[in-house]
Amino acid sequence: MTDRESSVNLFPIRMLRTNAAVAAIWLSLITVSAQTTTARIVRAANTFLSTLTEKQRQSVLFAFDDEQQRARWSNLPTGFIPRGGISLKEMNPTQRSAAMALVAAALSPKGFEKVQQIMEGDEVLRKTDTGPGGPPGGNRGNRPPPGGKGPPPGAGNRPPMGDGQMFGKDLYYISILGTPSEKTPWMLQFGGHHLALNITIAGERGILTPTLTGAQPALYTFDGKTVRPLGPESDKGFALLQALDDKQRKQAILSYQLADLVLGPGQDGKTIVPEGLKASEMTEHQRAMLLDVISEWAGIIHESAATARMAQLKADINETWFAWSGPTTVALGKNITAYYRIQGPHLVIEYAPQTLGGDPGLHVHTMYRDPTNDYGKGLLKQ
Amino acid sequence: MRLRIVTAAAVLLCLVRIASAHRLDEYLQATIISVDKDHIQASMRMIPGIAVSSSVIASIDSNGDGIISDAEQRAYAERVLGDLSLTVDGKRMQPKLVSVDFPQVELMREGLGEIHIEFTADLPHGGPNRRLILQNNHQKQNAAYLVNCLVPRYPDIRIVGQTRNERQSFYQLDYVQAGGPTSSPLRQWWTNIRGSISALGFVSLFRLGMRHIAEGTDHLLFLLVLLLPAPLIVVGSRWAGLADMRSSVLRILKIVTAFTVGHSITLALAAFGVVRVPGRPIEVLIAVSILVSAIHALRPIFPGKEAGIAAFFGLIHGLAFAATLSELGLGRWDRVADILAFNLGIETMQMIVVAVTMPSLLLMSRTRAYPVLRIGGALFAGLASVGWIADRLLGMHRSVDLVVGAVARHAVWIAGALFLISLACWRLRYTFVRQATPTARFVGDSAEPVEI
Repeated sequence: MTDRESSVNLFPIRMLRTNAAVAAIWLSLITVSAQTTTARIVRAANTFLSTLTEKQRQSVLFAFDDEQQRARWSNLPTGFIPRGGISLKEMNPTQRSAAMALVAAALSPKGFEKVQQIMEGDEVLRKTDTGPGGPPGGNRGNRPPPGGKGPPPGAGNRPPMGDGQMFGKDLYYISILGTPSEKTPWMLQFGGHHLALNITIAGERGILTPTLTGAQPALYTFDGKTVRPLGPESDKGFALLQALDDKQRKQAILSYQLADLVLGPGQDGKTIVPEGLKASEMTEHQRAMLLDVISEWAGIIHESAATARMAQLKADINETWFAWSGPTTVALGKNITAYYRIQGPHLVIEYAPQTLGGDPGLHVHTMYRDPTNDYGKGLLKQ
Repeated sequence: MRLRIVTAAAVLLCLVRIASAHRLDEYLQATIISVDKDHIQASMRMIPGIAVSSSVIASIDSNGDGIISDAEQRAYAERVLGDLSLTVDGKRMQPKLVSVDFPQVELMREGLGEIHIEFTADLPHGGPNRRLILQNNHQKQNAAYLVNCLVPRYPDIRIVGQTRNERQSFYQLDYVQAGGPTSSPLRQWWTNIRGSISALGFVSLFRLGMRHIAEGTDHLLFLLVLLLPAPLIVVGSRWAGLADMRSSVLRILKIVTAFTVGHSITLALAAFGVVRVPGRPIEVLIAVSILVSAIHALRPIFPGKEAGIAAFFGLIHGLAFAATLSELGLGRWDRVADILAFNLGIETMQMIVVAVTMPSLLLMSRTRAYPVLRIGGALFAGLASVGWIADRLLGMHRSVDLVVGAVARHAVWIAGALFLISLACWRLRYTFVRQATPTARFVGDSAEPVEI
């Protein structure tokens, strides 16, 4: 073989290889971009499920219409109110990262960051909490699960009251209702102390209601940085209050105290008579600010679902009310210590600082609801 | 260290730990009321905080055996109901226990247990305006109360107001209930009217109507622009002549009346549910109506038919008024009095505006300055209407509203200035005309071509 021949032969092969590589990259790019968000979430869910043992999978999976599991969420620590599914604590590192990848796929980057900050806050709480806990592993599983009409009892394999660990970033539970699918509806739940994400996926639609976010401490230092998981909610709500004129404030500020969430866990599907200032009495700029406050909750879910939801809430805006109760001032860089509520035809948002001894600005519960569409029921009925 | 604390001060630590998650020294009592036709239902969520739970549990567990029996649960629930004071229209009502549900005692001790109590109360017969007062005195020294009302399931029950004291231990609910099933339709109708008058207030709706038209600059703009050429007559295809005073006034009255008749008809039809039109097309049509009347003020396109046009577009403006009423939850047939009050408010404000601007218009029309006002006004309205059409069709932001709103905010000053200017023009015209064209003195009675 001459030199000339070899070069002739080699050249096309090299070309072919390069071309194939380029084509492969392009193809994968095209498929990724053509893939819908739901397809990505479904793939993440199936990946997560495939990492589990058969026993774990059974604990994670529920029927789509399991009303008990749907409502098995709370603001309270998991030791008191057991959740369904399995916790990050019970998972190996691979399973854990697959679980978090699934949660991340269903949320916007901002929403996922909020969730991580809430979980990290619970870790701070665990470290600063001086609680003794019971003897390690002492009475695990011995006590009957708590009853009550609130969240129904869990499967019983979780640390009940008095177990060593009360808080921490690994005490968050994941469960899947129905079969992950791009067509038929299913649900992803992720939550623990101060967190309850109920995400219904129905085709390309994504519904985040009802969802609870909370934080304690609602202001902490992590990696040398000050973190306020629900800081934007506090700041934007306060900015809107400040933007109101005296007449509007008079309407928006309620004359009575609100010690807690009105429509917290267990209060699905209820629509109370709205109060406060109606957004039709606001200026265009104030209405835009109100929508911006709302987006802190509506924007937790992934972008395309959030966009659809914001469009709905924007159409409702003139029928949306803003009410405030409590102090009308806030220290710089701190959270408000006042309660506020935003209510519209398809929306209830409550921001409720908790007065449990300490600074109410350090302990916050918030609720995000659509009374007409709990767990996507309204959408699926149509 | 940790172990020492555990053994040394377990109870204290328990409190500290619990403080991280739980209600402390308050007894949260959250009530949600739902109003039905002949009874109310209420659900109470009761959560004793950790510092008060022991005493609450002790008071419930009357025999002290550490178990809360069914009998003890019911007895406690009855005691809670006994601590409520419920009155409807001043009559004291007896709450009836429907169900009681207790959490585990351990959960309650931790300050996490939710006691659920459901009760109902029959409503006494009464008029359409009802006032319910709920006072909760249970564990008043450490209670944190919440009281709310659900949006009623029945459309004939309308919540008018909620009043609470700061602690929410006192809660007053005012609502209007359309007549009972026993009364005759006529009687019911009358009761509704009476109810609406006293409940929401004829006066407040009347004011609302006035405010609506005063702030709804587009409605007024349409009317005013249509009135601009009213003192003129057509020569050829132009506004070239002056109508006499009497026929000018008559024409203005005709236009205003026609507009009123038009919008009253559709307002009533929409409120009775006969017609139902989506808001946005109406808003666009209203802007079109302004454009049409602005063009007409520049060049007569329907001379002599102003009243008919006013009536026709009045029909459209009425639909917009109806949309406003229904936004307030008032656009229903049983609110005849509300509609009447609202419409009268609109009429009154309209009359005030016309009465204020008409003298200026008539005075000025007798001067050479009038084309400036007519053309200037028509151009302003025309531009505004084009802007509105674009805004409303494309849903762009309301830049036009800002400009028109700024003008409207100074409406009183503008009207005053207009009157002074027209007076001045009138004076000047007299002297000026006498010097220049003495014949123009007869202008009031016969048409005199005026240059445009």
